[in-house]
Amino acid sequence: MKKIIAILFLLVLSYGIYLSINSIPFGVSKTKVGNYYNLNGVKDTGANNIVTAVVLNYRGFDTLGEVTVLFLAVLGFSTILFTMKKKKSDNMPTPPSLILSIGCKFLFPFVLLFGIYIFIHGHLSPGGGFQGGAVIASAFLLFYLVKPSEKSSKKSFQLIESLSGMAFIVIGILGLVFGNYFLSNFLPKGIAGKLISAGIIPLIYIFIGIKVGSELTGIIDRLMGKNNEKQVK
Amino acid sequence: MNPVYLIIIPLLSAFSIPLFGLISKKLVKFIPPLAMLFNAVYAILLIPQILKKPIVVLMGGYSLPFGINLFVGPLGIIFTGVIAIIGFIVSFYAINYIKEGDKEKYHMLYLLLLTGATGAVLTGDIFNLFVFCEILCISSFALVADLGDKRSIESSVKYLIQGSVGSGFMLLGIGLLYGQFGTLNMAHLAQIITEKYGAAQSIPIDLFIPFVFVIIGFGIEGSIFPLNAWLPDAHSSAPSTISAVLSGLAIEIGLYAIIRFVFTIFGITSILPALAILGLITLVIGEITAFAQANIKRMLAYSSIGQLGLIFFAISIGTSEAITGGLFQFLTHAFSKALLFLSVGYMIYRTKSMEISSFKGIGKKMPFASLAFLIGSFSLVGLPLFMGFSSKFIIVKSAILKNSTLFNILIMVVLLCTIIEGAYFFKVIQTIYFKKSNNIEIKKAPATAVIAFFILIIIIIGLGIYPNEVFKILQCGATELLDKSQYIRSVLG
Amino acid sequence: MVYYIGAFGLIIIGLYVLMVKRNLIKMIIGISLINTGLNLFLISVGFIKLGTAPIFSKPGLNPKIMVDPLPQAMVLTAIVISVATLAMALALAIRLYEHHGTLDMGKIKDQKW
Repeated sequence: MKKIIAILFLLVLSYGIYLSINSIPFGVSKTKVGNYYNLNGVKDTGANNIVTAVVLNYRGFDTLGEVTVLFLAVLGFSTILFTMKKKKSDNMPTPPSLILSIGCKFLFPFVLLFGIYIFIHGHLSPGGGFQGGAVIASAFLLFYLVKPSEKSSKKSFQLIESLSGMAFIVIGILGLVFGNYFLSNFLPKGIAGKLISAGIIPLIYIFIGIKVGSELTGIIDRLMGKNNEKQVK
Repeated sequence: MNPVYLIIIPLLSAFSIPLFGLISKKLVKFIPPLAMLFNAVYAILLIPQILKKPIVVLMGGYSLPFGINLFVGPLGIIFTGVIAIIGFIVSFYAINYIKEGDKEKYHMLYLLLLTGATGAVLTGDIFNLFVFCEILCISSFALVADLGDKRSIESSVKYLIQGSVGSGFMLLGIGLLYGQFGTLNMAHLAQIITEKYGAAQSIPIDLFIPFVFVIIGFGIEGSIFPLNAWLPDAHSSAPSTISAVLSGLAIEIGLYAIIRFVFTIFGITSILPALAILGLITLVIGEITAFAQANIKRMLAYSSIGQLGLIFFAISIGTSEAITGGLFQFLTHAFSKALLFLSVGYMIYRTKSMEISSFKGIGKKMPFASLAFLIGSFSLVGLPLFMGFSSKFIIVKSAILKNSTLFNILIMVVLLCTIIEGAYFFKVIQTIYFKKSNNIEIKKAPATAVIAFFILIIIIIGLGIYPNEVFKILQCGATELLDKSQYIRSVLG
Repeated sequence: MVYYIGAFGLIIIGLYVLMVKRNLIKMIIGISLINTGLNLFLISVGFIKLGTAPIFSKPGLNPKIMVDPLPQAMVLTAIVISVATLAMALALAIRLYEHHGTLDMGKIKDQKW
């Protein structure tokens, strides 16, 4: 019965979507706003990657909100797990095999370096702070696989997160002071295509990369439950 | 004077809490009141300037519609002011109230919730509105689960599932709008819609579908019937300070978004009677279920649903006076419900029970909290001398002036609901003051709580006796909503 | 057009899962499906046939045939938001299991109207 109601409801919904989607033609250029970004993005912001220009300059305020949402996720995550009962775990995790431990130790610096590369070149090539941060977190995931009982300092993670978040806002306020607008690109834009160009974009992406990396690492850290073991010992 | 500080100062202070936590754990709890005090003062100082001309702030200095803008008009500043004042009072109260759990995280989440609310009412861009609504939602999910007991985790799960479906619908509506009109800026969107469809009375279907999606999305956040199943659970199992903020402010943000979409962006006035009936159903359901509750916080939560329905009904009448009344009712509800939840917070703390029957004779033992409850409920019911009287009076008057049989019948239902509302509040007051007392020892009331009660009581009685100054600002807010072309002109020039 | 069908198919499946299934993990998967469908829909709104990515990685690219960058920026934000929601949902699932010993939402009825 429940299924029939659900299917009926969804049929009505699909018909509604079908009606409205008819007026959105597929595969043709249709928005003035998007064309403006493509035509003037490099000139306005100095970034070769127009998506980055939109994310950090035209719509930088959204990104500030986005960074806040991620920060909130980590905060909420640890608030929810804060009052958790500490269980005694009898079975110690099995030690990793030789291949895993050697392989991970070998890969760890390279993955980390790749993550840093991605967020530093966010204004030139595909990628950016969020993607780079995720890669960095995966490097730490490898690290944790090798040493499941490694203690991590939650305090320092939180400090890194809040400091880089504050750095983002401070750059925004500097934009307000020097450029009259919050988050305005007040630094010289340089020559498009060079590593040091596009004003504040690489700077913000570096902070976002550090922040996202430490946040996702924090979530992995929590989900692996190492926190509990620490208190048992 | 740049209104962008209203958003970034709370955000910056939320990020800085771990740093202050390093210096001293005791310092942390003073940061939210300070940030909110700044916001309240700043918002009040901005009012004269905004009444002359709305302020439009560009982010990053890119011309519209390519960048994001903040639109600080009368409506925005009313909401910001109320958020800041209530945020200040509640965080002041929380200095002594929040004792358990991770205090640092609680205060950070609290500030971020208020940041999300402030950003959502000030922004002039629909996607930005979505992002700020998500900040608001996600911090509420976490705060509802703050106590970590069985009840709060269950409520938080329900809230999270329904809330994320709601945000899915919001994003779907926004995506459809972007696909059709190629812009995300509210004023530009409104301009394109007006140009394309003119003042046609019938709604074209490809405009109606995204409209429905957006209304469903924000309706879940604003708990319009039948989308409000999460609210009583979530509001009753959060800590009382959070219930006050969620009931008084957070659900009104959903309402704000809906009226912004209905009036400013779509300008669909032909749908208003349907929304009025929806609001009325919400009112009736909320008040009747509130009457049946034995748990005080659930009763207050259902009463919030009812009040929200009333605000929605008043705004959907669609005349300038009715919208003014609806906005006034929003102020009444925000302040009174905050006062009620805060007073109930200490009663529950002392009696260790949420059942109304356990509050017998508490009036003599806890004079301040009981007085606060009394005044809050009088104001919400709408007795003369209190804020609720003026707001309900305006709503009733404007509905009668509308001069249609439909609204005459509807307003009878509203009055009936007020009687039900009175009945259940007086039931509680009777229990508190006139029943034989349980044995609870008299303790000294904490100073922060008493000061918080008195600020709210002064606001409620003060605005009840002298509503004129606030009334003028609210009228400007109503004009802003009704005059769509003025909005477009002031943003796009 | 096939992108639209795929995107809305994902959204509809996600909603169906949410309406019919009562296991919390399955419901979380449903939410995740809805979010993925939405992201796909937003991207396909900005798609242009034979268009290139909006990145000037080498000289001589024609900005007129680049796809719309704004939906891509929106999707970046939407992905982060859905990750945040998922993380919260999983944390809550852990706690719910700890309290009730089950993830079946149909059996967890401490609070009702």
